[in-house]
Amino acid sequence: MGTNIGKIPIRLLFLFEILSLSLIFIYRWDNLDFNTFATGIGLVLLVYFSNSFLRKISSGDHYIFLIVSMMFSIGLIMIFRISSDLGIKQLLWLLIGIGVFFASYFLVKNIEFWDKMILVYLGTAYGLFAMTFILGARLRGAINWISIGGVSFQPAEVTKIALIFFLASYYYNIEKYSKNKYSEWIVMGIVYSYIGLLFLQRDLGTALIFFGIYTGLQYIYCNGRRYEIANLSLALLGGSLGYILFDHVKIRVLTWLNPWPYINDKGYQITQSLFAIAEGSYFGTGLGRGNPSFIPLSYNDFIFSSISEEMGVFTGIGVIMLFVLLVYRGFKIALLQNHKFYRIVAIGISLMFGLQAFIIIGGAIKVIPLTGLTLPFISYGGSSIVSSFLALGILQGASEKVVKEDETYE
Amino acid sequence: MNRESKRIITLFISLCAGFILLIGYLSYFQIFKAETIRENQYNKRLWIDEEEVLRGSIIDRDEEVLVYSQEKNGSIERVYKYDYLYSHIIGYSTREYGKSGLEKNFNSYLINANRNTAINEVINLINPVGVGNNLKLTIDTDLQRKSRELLRGKKGAIIAMDPKTGEILSMVSLPDYNVNSLIDNWAQISEDTNSPLINRGVQGLYTPGSTFKIVTALSSLELKDEESVFNCQGSIEIDGYIFKDFNSSGHGSIGLLEAFSKSCNTYFASLATHIGYDELKAMAESLYFNQRIPFDLDTSISRFPETQVGLTDLAASGIGQGRIGASPLNMLLITSAIANDGDMMKPYIVEKVISPQSNDVEIFTGEILTSIDDSIDLVRMQEMMREVVINGTGTNARIRNVQVAGKTGTAENASGKNHAWFVGYAPYDDPKVAVVVLLEEDGSSGGGAAAPIARDMMIYALNNIKFRR
Repeated sequence: MGTNIGKIPIRLLFLFEILSLSLIFIYRWDNLDFNTFATGIGLVLLVYFSNSFLRKISSGDHYIFLIVSMMFSIGLIMIFRISSDLGIKQLLWLLIGIGVFFASYFLVKNIEFWDKMILVYLGTAYGLFAMTFILGARLRGAINWISIGGVSFQPAEVTKIALIFFLASYYYNIEKYSKNKYSEWIVMGIVYSYIGLLFLQRDLGTALIFFGIYTGLQYIYCNGRRYEIANLSLALLGGSLGYILFDHVKIRVLTWLNPWPYINDKGYQITQSLFAIAEGSYFGTGLGRGNPSFIPLSYNDFIFSSISEEMGVFTGIGVIMLFVLLVYRGFKIALLQNHKFYRIVAIGISLMFGLQAFIIIGGAIKVIPLTGLTLPFISYGGSSIVSSFLALGILQGASEKVVKEDETYE
Repeated sequence: MNRESKRIITLFISLCAGFILLIGYLSYFQIFKAETIRENQYNKRLWIDEEEVLRGSIIDRDEEVLVYSQEKNGSIERVYKYDYLYSHIIGYSTREYGKSGLEKNFNSYLINANRNTAINEVINLINPVGVGNNLKLTIDTDLQRKSRELLRGKKGAIIAMDPKTGEILSMVSLPDYNVNSLIDNWAQISEDTNSPLINRGVQGLYTPGSTFKIVTALSSLELKDEESVFNCQGSIEIDGYIFKDFNSSGHGSIGLLEAFSKSCNTYFASLATHIGYDELKAMAESLYFNQRIPFDLDTSISRFPETQVGLTDLAASGIGQGRIGASPLNMLLITSAIANDGDMMKPYIVEKVISPQSNDVEIFTGEILTSIDDSIDLVRMQEMMREVVINGTGTNARIRNVQVAGKTGTAENASGKNHAWFVGYAPYDDPKVAVVVLLEEDGSSGGGAAAPIARDMMIYALNNIKFRR
């Protein structure tokens, strides 16, 4: 199944990196420092060695890591331009993230009983929720961060992966579980208990991702229209209830429909984001020549707006296309995989990346209500980078031929 | 293909549809919405932009530089050549108190804000300090200075324009303020009860008094309804309220021409009740009452009562009293329209926008705002205005060798001191200049105080201005 790709894509990637890094050098010409050199050289080496190492050890898909390399290169350059301190930190997170990528790749490859641990995934998810509520700190309106030894971390990033494994284990063993005729309802109840807890944490973006992953996998693997109808009705009901009960949901909708009357308070983030995108026009102001720092969280939730301002909307569209490619490769991996469990995992992870990108980009450009999420591989942030690479490692593992079990392609 | 694979592909296609939606909206946003959003005043980038741009200069009709920007010690300063003379036209541009006048309304030209094209961006990379466009005005600085002298010591406004093109030749409003010491004296200037920041010529609304009889007369000419012989007793009772003439002795037996030139209140009060509210309102509104005059500076909307009024109020409206409020610019446009045989020209003050490389970016020329219905006998209207200056209340506006036409107004108002008005134009046969003079709460009469000022303005304009036609 291994796809043998030539050297052209990686050379194009280097070309992009060298061009944009030279822009960074020009921008910081007057105060070139260690950080600038370290980031520049570090990024190029990181991309080079991780790609060639992967090529040597994995017989699976070689595109997904390349696509992701392009994403984190754009992200790192943008973050470094906004703040060189954050840039250096992001480089370290990328280093750790890539380490986690290889680790999770090896784990997926060498452990065979993933589908038999459904209770572990369930326990992990609830455990992480409990931890968040006990240790969690309210940050920007949401209680979804905990801090361990000075490193803050967002448990929901890991819960997402636990959810995918939980659903994969369930649908893989559906014949066994469906002996209990309520099994599908129980699974739905568990998923909605997650979504409800996320609502309570005010983490609406993640709640939406959970709903999307579940709905997508249910659509493919669950037989019985009534379950799908029940799921959609529950979502509609829950959404309306959330709108009526929670003011923070109402505000999101209000500032989505028309943020301009609230430009100084509730609508500040979204309007600043729109100003930045409008300023960038098609080709951008040029690296270092715009003012992305006017946007709150310009290096994090709104990195897409910062990229659009300085690199132009065409680069923004390029970022969207990268996600389309990543999702495409992910789905292709699923279609070529003959082990059902890994098929489900591959689809779940691709869905997760795609939905997360859609929700935060759509929010930043005001196509859908804004919910705080990171843009995978591009936004600044340790837990986002590490957990995204964790998921990518699993996808890499799922892209290889699995011969552990003899299951014929149906 | 089995069900699972089919559904996987369907799911992928729906995700792609979502991403295509994002790309589609981004493109739509850039093409149709970005421009407006970028110019939102809350966009901090606009301020940043401005501080890096060498704001354009403004020059007058004879290309004398009135204001320019220069770099000094690394920062950009704005140099206004005249402390007071252009304080209401050019206005000010400060970070602390915002902008006014042309500095405000032509800001995007002056900072060349629409420079986000690929080529301009390359130019900006090479030369980071942008240079804005320059403005050329229709104002003649000498006439401007002259009108400020004529108005000295009074409150009010004088505007002169070319009735055939709409070019504003001068525009002065007093009291004014020193634009070069605005920041230091802001509190005093902004709290002054005489409102020196207001441009009375375009933003002030005043009871028009007898100058409004032009509108009543036009309405009567349109309806062909006039009282050819009317016996003026010096006062008339309409619906229990007595209207008096300015001199109460009575004009005796008079027709429309004499009633207009002598400014007979009893005649026009009675005429208004004949014309009726709807017709009078329609005429006033066709002449830009109750609608905004498009202009380079911010204007106030002249008021004519919008709901049906009783006979007393209608009669009062007919002589420009009661609930009518007119801006001097509006009265000037009505006068100019009559001078220009019915075509009301759109007033303008900026003639050209010139790029730093001396190319014309945009040229503004005369355009017709509205035309007075050609069923109206305008020659008669012109004759009536001519008669005002020959034999009527406006004889003080007479010029030797040049025929002048006009209308006086002495408007009673809440302050107890009359506003003195004069609107007029010259030469009668081939009008080159139209003038409005308003003396706010001056206590004097239009014929006595405003007409002589208008005369001096017209003499000066006819002798000194280079008319473009």
